Amino acid sequence: MSRPAPAARKRTRKDTAGRPRRARRTEARNARAAAAFVLPFLALFGLCFLAPLGYALHQSLQKTERTGPLGLGREHEAFAGFAHYAQALSDDRFLTGFGRVLLFGAVQIPLMIVLATALALLLESASARGIAFFRTAFFLPYGVPGVIASILWGFLYVPGISPLVKIAESVGWHVDFLSRGTVLWSLANIVTWQFTGYNMLVLIAQLKAVPGELYEAARIDGANAWQVARHVKLPLIRPALVLTGVFSIIGTLQLFAEPMVLRPLASSIDSGFTPNLHAYSEAFVGNNPHVAAAEAVLLALVACVLSFGFLRLAGGRAEGRG
Amino acid sequence: MTNSPMHRRTVLGGAAAVAAGWALAGCSDSGDGDGDAPRERKKGQKIQLTFWSWVPGIDKPVDLWNRKHPDVQVKVEKVSAVNGQQYAKMHAAIKAGNPPDLGQIEFPVLPGFLLDDGLLDLAPLGVARHKNRFFGWQWQQSVFGKGVYAVPQASGPMGLFLRQDLFDKWEVSTPRTWDEYETAARAVRKKGAWIETFAPTNGNRFAGLAWQAGAKWYGTDGDTWLVHIDDEPTRKVADYWESLVGQKLVKTIPDRQNAWYKDLQTGAIPAWVGASWGDALLVGNAPGTKGKWRAAPLPQWKAGEQAFANWGGSTTAVFAKARYPKDALDFAVWLNTAPESIGLLIDGGYGFPSAKKGYATTDLDVDKDFFGGQAYSRVFADAGAHVDTSWRWGPGVDTLYQRLGDAFTDALADGGSFRSVLTKVQAQTVADLKGKGLKVESGG
Repeated sequence: MSRPAPAARKRTRKDTAGRPRRARRTEARNARAAAAFVLPFLALFGLCFLAPLGYALHQSLQKTERTGPLGLGREHEAFAGFAHYAQALSDDRFLTGFGRVLLFGAVQIPLMIVLATALALLLESASARGIAFFRTAFFLPYGVPGVIASILWGFLYVPGISPLVKIAESVGWHVDFLSRGTVLWSLANIVTWQFTGYNMLVLIAQLKAVPGELYEAARIDGANAWQVARHVKLPLIRPALVLTGVFSIIGTLQLFAEPMVLRPLASSIDSGFTPNLHAYSEAFVGNNPHVAAAEAVLLALVACVLSFGFLRLAGGRAEGRG
Repeated sequence: MTNSPMHRRTVLGGAAAVAAGWALAGCSDSGDGDGDAPRERKKGQKIQLTFWSWVPGIDKPVDLWNRKHPDVQVKVEKVSAVNGQQYAKMHAAIKAGNPPDLGQIEFPVLPGFLLDDGLLDLAPLGVARHKNRFFGWQWQQSVFGKGVYAVPQASGPMGLFLRQDLFDKWEVSTPRTWDEYETAARAVRKKGAWIETFAPTNGNRFAGLAWQAGAKWYGTDGDTWLVHIDDEPTRKVADYWESLVGQKLVKTIPDRQNAWYKDLQTGAIPAWVGASWGDALLVGNAPGTKGKWRAAPLPQWKAGEQAFANWGGSTTAVFAKARYPKDALDFAVWLNTAPESIGLLIDGGYGFPSAKKGYATTDLDVDKDFFGGQAYSRVFADAGAHVDTSWRWGPGVDTLYQRLGDAFTDALADGGSFRSVLTKVQAQTVADLKGKGLKVESGG
């Protein structure tokens, strides 16, 4: 944190009874300055993060009660306890959705990060040509909004329209990108296409920060390009790898736009295909905001546990090695 | 914020008459203090009503109304009808306390809005005097208990669209019964095409087919809602389509999607059990097949019967918070009964009118050339006259459709029986309604 000013330090030696007044004043001023800097963040954090979370928590514990003939009279809110959580946790479709995104993440995240790392290392190797062009080309899909990307890929998946299916069929290979068994991986393909370039850029940024002397030293020691990548670059971009990993975990749990867009095209995507889609359906199709709130809170909880778990795991291993 | 923008403008308008009207309205306000209590318009007072709709061409009749009624201006705000987004928006607006004055609401989802206390009961405003201007069964769709909650606008009597040229070429005759339909499906399959698709996610059409077979999914008994999705007629329909799917005589792709349109264009699917408004879909999405289509009555379970059903159709409803209910109702009635309005709505392609008068069946044959000159609306008019009038909708139909879609999808993937779908959805629907705090009993 802030280091005391040299002048204050000199006084300290003279003053033996507690801390000098000047230093205390400086500290108070520093604290005030710090508060002024932190306040906007705290306000935004409270407004955009804590408040909605609090509201969701509140909503998830309420229920609607109805009176009057056929329940058409007045409605009022009452305390429901954890009934909605129990309902969400006993809903097969909701739980299956969780299982599905976890499977999705377990396959797609490592694949994407390995791909992003490979691209980053290739583009940052000394011999690479047309770096700027390729970097932009790989990053471009990230600029396409998820909904548009899904529509675009949807056209490539739907039989009867898709040129891919046509080509596959012309060589006698019958593919159905939207069948129950394959649709999850068709979605994984869209997500990978979209986010590999983004993750690659994060990794490149970290690679750029590596001092050139390290490579030079390695080369003088006789390391070849592969050894430099394996023993110098990879350990140094570890923080960036952990970061992209956490982002991807959170992103996977929030999977929504892609299945939402493909849903009308593929009857294999049901209303609870991902937990987010399930919560959406509860809130906006079923008009059950309380259950949806409970599901949203559960989703946030799982995202939290998984992200911190991953950080812990990654951090722990780094310490063990160091 | 309790003041709506319009409310504020009215007050700021400052005319003495307006202020007096406001004060009076304040007195009659039953003390819940939200200041948005319904009011009566003073003579000569200018107001504006907002109307959320997605019907194509709705602007035209509304413009006409605005020209004729300078004091009561209606502003159309278009809402998206994709995936039920319009209803999500309306429910949210009701919750937030700022719904529009009027809204376009389909028959099946009306009860869901009643649960939200979202719609105005039009009975105290004397809506009953307009009853005879509408087809009886459509009027009944908005009647719950003693209340009338919307003015019917359009319906969708069901029928069979088919490619006459292909049926002729393949020497398949137009099926008049469901047995003949299966025979036709087999003949079409032999020619390499599929008669049509059983779209697992289309709960709407499945409900129509059950309706035709004599099912009654919802009912009321005193204060209790009754749910009968798993009943004999519905089982019959489920068994029938399960058998077609099992024999691979129909596709199972979603309908009204790109792949389906493509199949219609190429003749890979030469038929469609659809509804009256389907003409616009065919014309719009398979323009190259002009002149080759015909409409035929919905196949019957017993030869010579006259059992028909409805798919779609909607109402103009007045929201509970509407501040000038009388004017809103006047507009809703005019929109759906005035001949000049119906004419413009028909041109826009809004469906089959709910009003008995004000148009001729031939007015509806807007795309006659597309159907080889056939007066195809006659088919749907006949169907509309024979729709089982006792069918009622209950709350949560959107959820029901989703449940049906999910369960049919599961059944198709795992080879489960369609009957098990009904059992499952029946139980889920009862639980859903109980979850909404309603009294429910399971029947069927």
